[in-house]
Amino acid sequence: MDWYPIFLRDMLLFKRKLLRLGYLFSAMVVPIIYLLAFGLGLGRNVAFHGQDYLAFLIPGLVAMSSMNNSYTWVASSLNLNRLYFKTFQIFIQAPISPFGIMFGYVLSGIVKGLFASSLIIVVGYLTSSTFKMSLIFILVLLINCFMFASLGVITGMITKSHEDTATYSNFFIMPMAFFSGTFFPVEKIPGFLKPIIYVMPLTHTNLAIRHSTLNLQVLSHIVVIICFSIAFFLLGLKLIRNYRE
Amino acid sequence: MIQINGLVKRYGSVVAVNGLNLDINQGEVFGLLGPNGAGKTTTIKILSCLSRPDEGRCFVGGFDVTRDSLRVKRLIGVVPQENNLDRELTCEENLKIYAMLHRVSNRQGKIKEALEAVGLSEKKDEVVSRLSGGLQRRLLIARAMLPDPKVLFLDEPSVGLDPQVRRQLWELIRNIRWEGRTVIITTHYIEEAEALCDRVGIMSKGRLIALGTPTVLKEQVGRYVVEEHKGNGKVIYHMFHTREEANRYVKDCTCSVTIREANLEDVFIQITGERIEP
Repeated sequence: MDWYPIFLRDMLLFKRKLLRLGYLFSAMVVPIIYLLAFGLGLGRNVAFHGQDYLAFLIPGLVAMSSMNNSYTWVASSLNLNRLYFKTFQIFIQAPISPFGIMFGYVLSGIVKGLFASSLIIVVGYLTSSTFKMSLIFILVLLINCFMFASLGVITGMITKSHEDTATYSNFFIMPMAFFSGTFFPVEKIPGFLKPIIYVMPLTHTNLAIRHSTLNLQVLSHIVVIICFSIAFFLLGLKLIRNYRE
Repeated sequence: MIQINGLVKRYGSVVAVNGLNLDINQGEVFGLLGPNGAGKTTTIKILSCLSRPDEGRCFVGGFDVTRDSLRVKRLIGVVPQENNLDRELTCEENLKIYAMLHRVSNRQGKIKEALEAVGLSEKKDEVVSRLSGGLQRRLLIARAMLPDPKVLFLDEPSVGLDPQVRRQLWELIRNIRWEGRTVIITTHYIEEAEALCDRVGIMSKGRLIALGTPTVLKEQVGRYVVEEHKGNGKVIYHMFHTREEANRYVKDCTCSVTIREANLEDVFIQITGERIEP
């Protein structure tokens, strides 16, 4: 239970943020812009696999948004706690394990990812008659949050200034949001780009999250994101263990 | 209680601590005095498991700070120089999280006690960012006291506070009863070291240059100081062991002079030729 005070602290801070109306609005505005621009604007005349575009887009937006929120929250709060507010010191100086610190941060990242996802899921049910959540959808969403919260810890630990956080985001998170199957299926991407696309973790989330039945292919994508999750978690843990000022 | 053997810490090409040896006894209030950049904070960071030594070994309560850091962390409380409270949380929430991190039993009772001890009971639901600097420093002390640490580090406890608030803080530090508790205070305020510490180690450029009780240190350089004020704002200091010697010197002076008792700054000036407080 080492992790609980770290998780609780983040939830107390999150609760304060939620009480400010501006925050809730800004958390919703980006996915809604995408939904309007791509879903209603571009997507009205598009259909993939005989499915209407909104039903295709919404799971992608959930994957993207859960990635963004889990990752960004953890990365930027860890960066600020470490470099600016120095509150990270009290975790390092407390008699708790590095695992507790890592798990506490990841868990709060998951909560924030799920919170953002739930907003889009609600919009999904309101705008699309064919959008449904399957068990696989929920499982993949959870793994996706865990994976990107862990990646957030890594960035939060290695960044040397707050501006760095944006740089990492532009190089790794932004391209994933657009090329990993959020807005169009990855098979539409030219062959020479495919190897890069398949290295991106979000691609596998997107390839799994749209299925409601488990088959070998879906399973393989889930295994890939689990492997990414474990790797990111272990690397984050190592960075926390070796942390010294 | 604390042993420092041959401690060296470098940051790039800068040597922050350069071969420090020091023993601090259980139950004493020990002051590390020196100008900014002398290596005091670095020493505290190493003793409180936040930094790692490059050379040498440090022990707190008999445990090595690098090899046995978990045991060391159970013994210590830290009031850092840079405020690391959660500014968006209330006083009570800050204490609660800290108490949980340190597995404090009877959490509610201890938090209530700690808030009372520093006079913050009425502000317990106030968000920290709304408190003044002095009150935030009090909260930091209350927080460090929660797990009832055997060793308490106070890193520049009164830096940035105005003189009146500083005195109140000293009163508070004196009033908390240090039964058997070891306290290490770093400071660059002469007065603070003299007001609070049983024993003082003076640091300069990463080394310990003097060690002893404030009285003994002052007697070593002379108990009385004659300040000779030359015309262009220049002051020359002369140290004397007895008042008579000082008086005799003053008689032959032609310019304006002040006679006063020596303080720890005079000790520092005598040894290094520089001042502590700029």
